[in-house]
Amino acid sequence: MRRSLIAGLVLLFTACTTAAPSPGASASSGSKVGGMVTFAAITDPETLDLHQTSNPVASTIFGYIYEPLVYQDLDNSYKGLLAESWTVSPDNKTITFALRKGITFTDGSPFNAAAVKFTYERLQRVGAKSPIFETFKSVAKMDAPNDSTFVLTLSEPYAPIFHDLAVSYAGILSPSAVQAVADKIDRAAVGTGEYKLKEWQTGQQVTLERNEKYDHAPAFYKNRGAAFIQQIRYKVIPDPATQLAALEAGEIDQLGLQAKDIAKYGADKRFAIFDSFAYGLTYLGFDAARPPFDDARLRTALSRAVNKDEIVQTVFGGTLAKIACCPIAPSIQGYDEKLKQYELKYDPAAAKSGLEALGYKASADGTRTKPDGTAFKPVLYTTTSSDHTKISTLIQAQLKAVGVDLQVKQLESAALLAATPRAEHDLYLNGYSWNEPDMFSLFLSCDRVKTSNRVLFCDQTLEAMIKAGRTELDQAKRMQIYFDAQKYTMQQAPWQPLYMPVSKTAVSARVADLKQGQAGGLLWHDAYLK
Amino acid sequence: MLAIPVLLGVSVGVFLMIAFIPGDPATALAGDTASPDAVARIRVELGLDQPLPVQYLRFLERLAHGSLGTSIRTHRDVTVEILDRLPYTLELALVAVLFSTTLGVSLGVIAAVNRGRAADLVTMGIAMVGLSVPTFFLALIGIVVFSLKLHWLPVTGAATIASVILPAVSLSLHSAAVKARITRSSMLEILGQDYLRTARAKGLREEAVIWRHALRNALIPVSTIVGLQFGSLLGGAFIIETIFGWPGVGLLAVQAIFNRDFPVIQGTVLLVAVAYLVTNLVVDLLYAWLDPRIRYA
Repeated sequence: MRRSLIAGLVLLFTACTTAAPSPGASASSGSKVGGMVTFAAITDPETLDLHQTSNPVASTIFGYIYEPLVYQDLDNSYKGLLAESWTVSPDNKTITFALRKGITFTDGSPFNAAAVKFTYERLQRVGAKSPIFETFKSVAKMDAPNDSTFVLTLSEPYAPIFHDLAVSYAGILSPSAVQAVADKIDRAAVGTGEYKLKEWQTGQQVTLERNEKYDHAPAFYKNRGAAFIQQIRYKVIPDPATQLAALEAGEIDQLGLQAKDIAKYGADKRFAIFDSFAYGLTYLGFDAARPPFDDARLRTALSRAVNKDEIVQTVFGGTLAKIACCPIAPSIQGYDEKLKQYELKYDPAAAKSGLEALGYKASADGTRTKPDGTAFKPVLYTTTSSDHTKISTLIQAQLKAVGVDLQVKQLESAALLAATPRAEHDLYLNGYSWNEPDMFSLFLSCDRVKTSNRVLFCDQTLEAMIKAGRTELDQAKRMQIYFDAQKYTMQQAPWQPLYMPVSKTAVSARVADLKQGQAGGLLWHDAYLK
Repeated sequence: MLAIPVLLGVSVGVFLMIAFIPGDPATALAGDTASPDAVARIRVELGLDQPLPVQYLRFLERLAHGSLGTSIRTHRDVTVEILDRLPYTLELALVAVLFSTTLGVSLGVIAAVNRGRAADLVTMGIAMVGLSVPTFFLALIGIVVFSLKLHWLPVTGAATIASVILPAVSLSLHSAAVKARITRSSMLEILGQDYLRTARAKGLREEAVIWRHALRNALIPVSTIVGLQFGSLLGGAFIIETIFGWPGVGLLAVQAIFNRDFPVIQGTVLLVAVAYLVTNLVVDLLYAWLDPRIRYA
């Protein structure tokens, strides 16, 4: 109890001391500076070592503390953040960045080309758990000829490089801060970002403090200087029902809503609702590596039996999802309306005749058997999430209507990831999240059949297109490649794309000037507390 | 001395259990988009490429040196991870045990003394409800009433003294009910004994008879329950800690299980085993104090 009392007093004390903004800060940005917003996090960030995690909570925190060389603008194009500009060599292999001058890390040391080189070399050394580790394997050489020039040489042209350099995991570390803790930066994060790490109380919360010297926010913000909100706190609340209660009680300021809560909070004056699309979609996949689903005709027939509209209406109330026609989600570069003509639309009659033609005949009770007369009971693997539970039940009923007796097996996430490379499944229901058309190489390439390609689809025609898309830096040509790749994938049907998740986030009405990103979430740099 | 084989048995059990849980920590850690190469590197880094017996011996070797290993997720020492959480778990367990024992024993005594009367029926009715309603449901009801309607208590966190009340009370009600029923039945047995008649005949006040002479003996079975409950709470109250975001060992264990963070799972399970052994020992000593006739050779 005494510990708790002390903790309480300390909290009270820090609340008092931070409530008053520092004089320098308020002089530059008026009365908007101050206050604290609290977000809910389902877990701790596990580690704040930028190169040793792919944890989503850590990733959002990195976005406040660190900055990468480039950022993705609202129109999905790439602009300079710590880099001012760059040039690409004619062979598409060498990128020369001109770095921004006069920027310091929050420990006071200067940002320069040596820091960039130091950071990326550390990533190459210890970054196996980082989502961009692979990218840096294709980096042949890195040079820092002077403080404001950084040269990156690739072993072969790699078009998604700017995406990978723009993610929060590609932020630049302060070398002096890393050396000060002998490379153990799991709890000592120092970058050039708009916030600094103030405190991480294990299992409870991470608190970030405004970087009052910050002066180079992306151009889409009105406020290019330091953030207005004094502190941002990530509070660990694992249980969704408790998160909702915490929002009700005013303990957190923002929460993604579930379908059942949208009507209530949409009408509630205490909150404003923001929509955003996910960079990804959920698909129904087929294990294309073994019979019977190695046959594209069977995959096509079953795809035709799936009623996406029913899924979106029933599971997501028509609001938290948008039907996806094509492998690349509408929020991602490379999506093209014209591809809709190739969508395998819901057509139970076509599904039935397709199955008939392949020899899957209906028995007396209407259930189809395999051409050899044995029972046809394909097994769908998915996670235990409540959305996936509802969707798989619906798909089960939809396939039943064309005579297919689908079995559903739900595995907890970690178990599912381990099971799919062993090809135990026939069908697979899950989503992907990757903001780059090169998602093809992660989820549908031969290289990844033992890991992230969970439909084990390996096709040489598509493989060639994936490779071409990765190495083509001309934007128009590259998008044509992905148009063709999508068309081909829709004909081969390893996936039936189902829907793109839409999130609706309730934000406390005390927050003003919060900006809506095109996709992917909310942008807080202009925001202040009323 | 029996503790050592028990702990060894637990360590083998935990180790094998982990080997049979589906899901590979390297895959879980590397994430959905990792390449086979990255997964292989992580597997080597974690020593998961070694055969199971080798992994187990390494685990024992570390244990002999007083180390529980390093968390796969956070790269921190498991002992540090647990010690970070233990004060919170201890606080929650102490408050819950104190509250449930006080409440349970009081209700039990009231019921026994008023056997067959309205007070007995009411208290045992309350105990029945406490036994039947699941803890997580009590917790959610508590949040709705005391946090959302009355605004008396915070929903989550462990920042203030008020934070411990809801989780501790939700945890307490079930065991308070158990304790009330046991106190009642063992009080009823004792209230009929000769020595109480003697005490009354000496002219002792009824309160002294009940609370000093009868209750002390009736508490022996209750102390067993208290010990067991405290032992299990020290290993973390998994559901309650998850609901309230209480940063204790239970929440650590739940997150470790989802992440296949084997060293942390092993560490927390060993902690539970040790906690049971220690509380059992304390309960045995407590028996001797409650009933001086009990002696250990």
